[in-house]
Amino acid sequence: MNQTVVSYLSKYEFYDYLLALFGNNQGVLAFTIYFLLALIIIGMCATIGGLGTYAERKISADLQARLGPNRVGPYGLLQMLADGVKMMTKEDIMPFTADKALFYLAPLLCLVGVFATLAVLPFAGGFIMADLNVGIFYLVAISSFVGLGVFLGGYASNSKWSMLGGMRGASQIISYEIPVTISILAIVLLAGGMGFGTIVGQQGGLPHQWFLFHNPFAFIAFFVYGVGALAETNRAPFDLPEAESELVSGYHTEYTGMRFGFFALAEYIEVFVVCGVAASLFLGGYNVPGITIDILPVQAAQFVIFMTKTLILYYVVIWIRWTLPRLRVDQLMSVCWKYLTPIAIFNLIGCAIWMVVFNGKSIAELVLGSH
Amino acid sequence: MFLEFLFISSAVLTVSCALGVLVVKNIMHSCVFLLGSLMGVAGLYATLGADFVAVTQIMVYVGGVVILMLFAVMLTGGTDFISRAQNLLGLAPSMGNKWTYGMGLFVGVVFLLTNIKLLMGLTQTLPTKTINNEFPSTVTEIGHLLVKDHVLAFEISSVLLLGALVGAAIIARPRKQN
Repeated sequence: MNQTVVSYLSKYEFYDYLLALFGNNQGVLAFTIYFLLALIIIGMCATIGGLGTYAERKISADLQARLGPNRVGPYGLLQMLADGVKMMTKEDIMPFTADKALFYLAPLLCLVGVFATLAVLPFAGGFIMADLNVGIFYLVAISSFVGLGVFLGGYASNSKWSMLGGMRGASQIISYEIPVTISILAIVLLAGGMGFGTIVGQQGGLPHQWFLFHNPFAFIAFFVYGVGALAETNRAPFDLPEAESELVSGYHTEYTGMRFGFFALAEYIEVFVVCGVAASLFLGGYNVPGITIDILPVQAAQFVIFMTKTLILYYVVIWIRWTLPRLRVDQLMSVCWKYLTPIAIFNLIGCAIWMVVFNGKSIAELVLGSH
Repeated sequence: MFLEFLFISSAVLTVSCALGVLVVKNIMHSCVFLLGSLMGVAGLYATLGADFVAVTQIMVYVGGVVILMLFAVMLTGGTDFISRAQNLLGLAPSMGNKWTYGMGLFVGVVFLLTNIKLLMGLTQTLPTKTINNEFPSTVTEIGHLLVKDHVLAFEISSVLLLGALVGAAIIARPRKQN
């Protein structure tokens, strides 16, 4: 059965009190819990997305020996709020020849696709909004809305820059989905399930229990996933859809104010989501070393561990952006189809053979002879 | 209560968006309506408890088919299509001649009869589905069925897909100049 946060909470006594408070109406209580938790998670992730823009500028400034934002608030920390106010008060310009309905729809599709993935992201044991049996598959499927939003945004603006950016974005996202999905499939093989609860539960808190070091193929799969995820989120060195030196600003050239803000926010939250997925698939997720009990302090520690791993990966993504130059379109496609896809298929077959030959044991278990 | 809500909203979404595909003049908008309709179908699968099929529906249609259709429409410039219809058969000239319409009619009749046959069964009470506790999730169950009971169909469809891949590669390959 699919586990949810409601079915998790219903094991405790206070759930009965709450149920009595809601007049024994199970549906309304479940809806209220989901609604509140969704508000919390979306608020948190929107803040992380906003802080992402700050971190991006601060880290890039560090890497280029500049100062970065330092006027608004201590260390420029409130720059994000200033940006938000600026975006909301800007004029919302609609190009005269734009396809109005699709122009309005495109940023929303991006944002909905990203927010829908948060439903299965494992923040801590028991506090996954819906630990679906098909968790990772759901995440891969629903995030294809982002590609659709990018493409429709490019089309609806009716401008050549947007059109080129949108087409590049869509072709890039659907191409890189293949190596990413196959790398994820290798981990699904190791875990024996697609739910995030299963995948994280099969790993341990210490590095030798992570799927990253389970076998050599999983180790390679991590890097294939990383490169593919960079391309899927349109981050440098794969930021061709918004290549500012050739396409002005790519698919969101014609967008102003908060509609542009939606695209930017979706991008930063998506980076957070792919980092979170990498952390829970390969780096042990929220596991605390040595402790497996589900009590509140442990869960707080789990949350901190998950966030730490994810934000370290987030830092690496920003670091890569300000270090590597952008690829050309043909290089982008040959990286995907000639290198990443064959390597990913090789990894998948390798993992399958490893599971059969060594009876599902990891390298550490083979060497140390125990768990 | 939740299942009823899910069913009604998915059904309304499916039917209204399918009507939108037919009614709307702009072909790009039709594609977006088709997307809504396919999402509704995914919701119907989810109502039936087939979570794997629902997600596969989103994966295949939203992530692949609709984007490919949008690409095809945009690259062929199908938006400024002007109908030069004179008679009934010429209403949509790109759609074929009397033979294709004849074939369409035949397929329609067969489809109608099949549907009638299916709908006849609705008056009888269906046998209640035996819940199989052997498998922890639908994913495991589908996996077991695919590689045990239906392995031949599974393998044949993979050969079909391989054929499609090789065919696409051959068509897209640059030809030698001679």
